[in-house]
Amino acid sequence: MSYLAVKGLHKRYGANTLFTDIEFHAEQGELVTLLGPSGCGKSTLLRCLAGLTEVDRGTIVLADQEITQLPPQRRGIAMVFQSYALFPNMTVAQNVAFGLRMQRLARDEVSQRVVEALTLVELEGFAERYPHQLSGGQCQRVALARSLIVRPRLLLLDEPLSALDARIRRHLREQIRAIQQELGLTTVFVTHDQEEALTLSDRIVLMREGRIVQSGDAETLYTAPVDAFAAGFIGNYNLLSAEQASRLFGQTFQGQVAIRPEAIRLGVAGGFSGRIVGHSLLGNVIRYRIATEACELNVDVLNHGPAALQPNGTVVTLTVDSDSLREVA
Amino acid sequence: MSRAERLYHRIVVWGLLLILLAPLAATLVYSLASQWSATLLPAGFTIKWYLQLWSDPRFLAAFGRSLAICLGALALSCVLILPAMFAIAYHFPRLDALMNVLILLPFAVPPVVSAVGLLQLYASGPLPLTGTPWILVFCYFTIALPFTYRAISNNLQALNLRDLMDAAHLLGASSWRAALLVVLPNLRTGLMVALFLSFSFLIGEFVFANLLVGTRYETLQIYLYNLRNGSGHLTSALVISYFLAVLLMTWIANRLNRERT
Amino acid sequence: MKRPWLALLLILPFLLVFGAFQLAPLAWIAFNSFNSAESGWGLGNYVEIFGSPFYLQAIRFSLEISLWSSVCGLLIALLGAYSLTRVDSRLRGFVVAFTNMTSNFAGVPLAFAFIILLGINGCLTLALKQLGLIESFNLYTKGGLILIYTYFQIPLGVLLLFPAFEALKQDWRDAAALLGAGTWQYWRHIGLPVLSPALVGTFIILLANALGAYATVYALTVGNFNVVPVRIAALVSGDIYLEPNLAAALAMLLVAFMTLITLVHQWLLRRSRHVQS
Repeated sequence: MSYLAVKGLHKRYGANTLFTDIEFHAEQGELVTLLGPSGCGKSTLLRCLAGLTEVDRGTIVLADQEITQLPPQRRGIAMVFQSYALFPNMTVAQNVAFGLRMQRLARDEVSQRVVEALTLVELEGFAERYPHQLSGGQCQRVALARSLIVRPRLLLLDEPLSALDARIRRHLREQIRAIQQELGLTTVFVTHDQEEALTLSDRIVLMREGRIVQSGDAETLYTAPVDAFAAGFIGNYNLLSAEQASRLFGQTFQGQVAIRPEAIRLGVAGGFSGRIVGHSLLGNVIRYRIATEACELNVDVLNHGPAALQPNGTVVTLTVDSDSLREVA
Repeated sequence: MSRAERLYHRIVVWGLLLILLAPLAATLVYSLASQWSATLLPAGFTIKWYLQLWSDPRFLAAFGRSLAICLGALALSCVLILPAMFAIAYHFPRLDALMNVLILLPFAVPPVVSAVGLLQLYASGPLPLTGTPWILVFCYFTIALPFTYRAISNNLQALNLRDLMDAAHLLGASSWRAALLVVLPNLRTGLMVALFLSFSFLIGEFVFANLLVGTRYETLQIYLYNLRNGSGHLTSALVISYFLAVLLMTWIANRLNRERT
Repeated sequence: MKRPWLALLLILPFLLVFGAFQLAPLAWIAFNSFNSAESGWGLGNYVEIFGSPFYLQAIRFSLEISLWSSVCGLLIALLGAYSLTRVDSRLRGFVVAFTNMTSNFAGVPLAFAFIILLGINGCLTLALKQLGLIESFNLYTKGGLILIYTYFQIPLGVLLLFPAFEALKQDWRDAAALLGAGTWQYWRHIGLPVLSPALVGTFIILLANALGAYATVYALTVGNFNVVPVRIAALVSGDIYLEPNLAAALAMLLVAFMTLITLVHQWLLRRSRHVQS
């Protein structure tokens, strides 16, 4: 029996269907990511899990208890918002202590647990500051502490890193994952950033226009996307039409073919040829744009230094393993 | 939001609307009633009060006087405030903070208080203005000041005055021509909004009119007050007519405001 | 323009008119309030005011009417503004526009409208009598005035509080709910504290609005009700005899009180600066 089981969820607003036929589950201690473009319904779905919005149909079961009809106060779920949602009239310590105050715990125990929570997110000296005196990253960590202190059964995170800049985002991402694993906290994470999804998750649920497109672990989603949308969303796949793929590889294909840019190898004989027409430096990876007789391909190689960089116009040979050719609908 | 909550909020808002509407509605009904005394509902309906009102030369004269004063005050506002604000915004931006405090004064000091000083200063001596419409024009100018200043100030800030003037200078315009041809047209909407809002405020002004000129220059509100012992139906017709005018002004101001943003 | 004095010339007419018709009267009042007709320069006028039960009654009535109408107006505006933020945008837009328009409906027209509604033979008075809810109702008393003053305080209160309620983020409500707070607890710990600067500020503005109001009470009671603005006006445009310096003293008291409460408000704002997000 899964720790969190969501079945048959459906929600409509007026004439629009926000999401339908939603079914997924999470084991205890797992981090599941809801991934998808803006407007696919993932944030609404999260709010329904929290009880902030009602569903029209379906059930949500958490730790063997059906919580679909429970108000948010009684679900034992905590949530971190994209806008932090820190209470502006309270200090950091008061914000963090709020949940425990609502539970009417003794004052000493509250202060002690506040100190523990702030230490966990590395904000020990900030207890008396007000939210408007904190940076975005610090606010988000306070929000995290405020959620963790109540020892929730389930932690929800609604695009918590979107409002932060890149470096802080990466650091905080790792911190969240480390804390989540240390506490063994079942977590549902919502994002539109596939890099976040791939690095953080035990499992990914890919959504599009209110429906689940594919669900599985990061590895599977990355190497075996189920359709063209999935291939385009996760990773930087090259998408070839059936004719283009047939021309290049000599086999017949029914539908589009997706090839990962790192799955194409340069300079190994036996494949087809192409000419380099451009390149981009992505830090530790160089992405070449190579024109072949059928189409243009992106090819990623590790950056071995400026000496190894091949100039534009070079003619190269390319090979692709046949199991890297992923036929998608 | 649950169904019960939604219902509660709708009830409260409709309740608010009803409370605010009640005196207006009562006046409207009274203005259309042929006779209504000591009974719950009027005896009959007629528009004869409106006809009587709009054909009364005394009313038309009072309305004309109010219009003249308000328009005069607003024209004075434009002539005095626009150049001053331009000069402050372009040359003395630090004065803006001081100005913001100054324009609070008409808000903070009730007209009844100012009237005390005004009567003593301008009843005789070098500037005998009390009893004439001129003092009203000047006083109404000070009343309209907070509204007009705010609206133009917001507009000026949104314009980025310095950049506009620099661009105009680079293209060969003198400061005068730049101000007239570039800045002024862009201020038009903000100015219009301020004028319409001020107008609806000024036409309802009673305190200065009563204390400074009284019946020597009978404005609309004074005329209304003087009718108090006459027919309540007539006064109601007057109030509704005046309120419709204010409604029109505010509606125009709103439309202009939306056009701007 | 290279020559700043040319720019000054643009500001001059404005300053002259403003000075002559806003600042000069104030200066005259401040100065002459200390010039008593009987005892020359000094605090004679103020002594006379505070020694006279008539003037003290005026001050008391003014304070009572202003306080009660501001409190009631604030409460109604509070409930109204909150619900206004929670209804659909069409209804909200319409009511906000209507509130804007009724904020102009004060003074003489309002007095007459209330006579129609709640005068001796007013339709509402009659209706309430028929329903047996009241025996009689006299609009021309302190209670009646509080009612009418509350009426014109409501639109002002709503227009001032509405943006404050809009600034309350839904996220805070959601976060509080997940942490276990019910409706009452949300308002007690988060909602009202965040709103309090706006609430106090609005109250002060309503108070100042009521204290300085002249037209409504004058039109309703033909200058017969004893409140400070009516007293001031009677002393300068009198039927009996004119005492402008006494009026000046009374006016200074009014202005001083309003300045005091404004300063208190500014001080409170500075203390609660941490609430600003």
